[in-house]
Amino acid sequence: MKVEVGDQIPDWVMESVRPERMRTMAAILRDPNPVHWDRATCKSMGFGDHTINQGPLGLSYMVNMIHAWAGPTSLARLVMRFPMVILDGDYIVAKGEVTDIREEAGERLADCRVWLEREGTEPPLEGEATVRLS
Amino acid sequence: MNTARVPTEAEIESLVGYEFPGGEYTIEHWENFLLTECTGGELLPDGMVHPIALFHVPILGANTSIAEMFALGQAESDSSIGIESYVWEMPKMLHEDITYQITAQVTEADRRREGKRTFDRIQFCFEVAEPGGDLAARCTITWTYGRSTL
Repeated sequence: MKVEVGDQIPDWVMESVRPERMRTMAAILRDPNPVHWDRATCKSMGFGDHTINQGPLGLSYMVNMIHAWAGPTSLARLVMRFPMVILDGDYIVAKGEVTDIREEAGERLADCRVWLEREGTEPPLEGEATVRLS
Repeated sequence: MNTARVPTEAEIESLVGYEFPGGEYTIEHWENFLLTECTGGELLPDGMVHPIALFHVPILGANTSIAEMFALGQAESDSSIGIESYVWEMPKMLHEDITYQITAQVTEADRRREGKRTFDRIQFCFEVAEPGGDLAARCTITWTYGRSTL
């Protein structure tokens, strides 16, 4: 796999964040927080009629982007921060760029800046990924 | 109005070193299928589990829960919790139908003030090991517990 510093990772798009996926996640995670499934709670918090996506779901869009780019076993490390929430109905694009390429323990690794993009706001999620290059 | 008692700084700091019971977890195909579908991605080949499982598998496998983690920090409400960061280290991919051993503890806990906002910052570290003991994944979760009455 030919990769250079400055390369852009191909975008991965979530066309519309779906509330039923948040409900499935809440059930599997045993997550009691109503912000993921109760619109009334979200409305009282100022989010209108939108439930709030679980942090790990937003993070998973980054994972899907990296898998599509470098393969399903490529992700070695992911650091993610969550400055803003993602809401149901949002159109989200996962993006990334290679910031360094290095060798560690016999593996060739790419360090990448990764983030989610949503029109009209700052990136709701941002972080760094270390990707194994085959 | 929230009337719950706010823990002292000393109580929060004393959480460092707290160990969860620990235990084991086996990810079945149905669970991996549904999780992967939630991400909008494709099911991975050869029984590999989508890394999104690294959020709940360590928590449930350590015999704790999100609700218990909220309670440990004496959260004033579910919505007072904020996510600072997740760090997922993945020396190996997880696979369906393998029973992983999970250990977990609180690694950092302190009170912070930023402007007019006061919150407690608690960091949890979970380790997921293969049946032979090799580390498969380490997950570090850092949450903030807002204190609206301070």
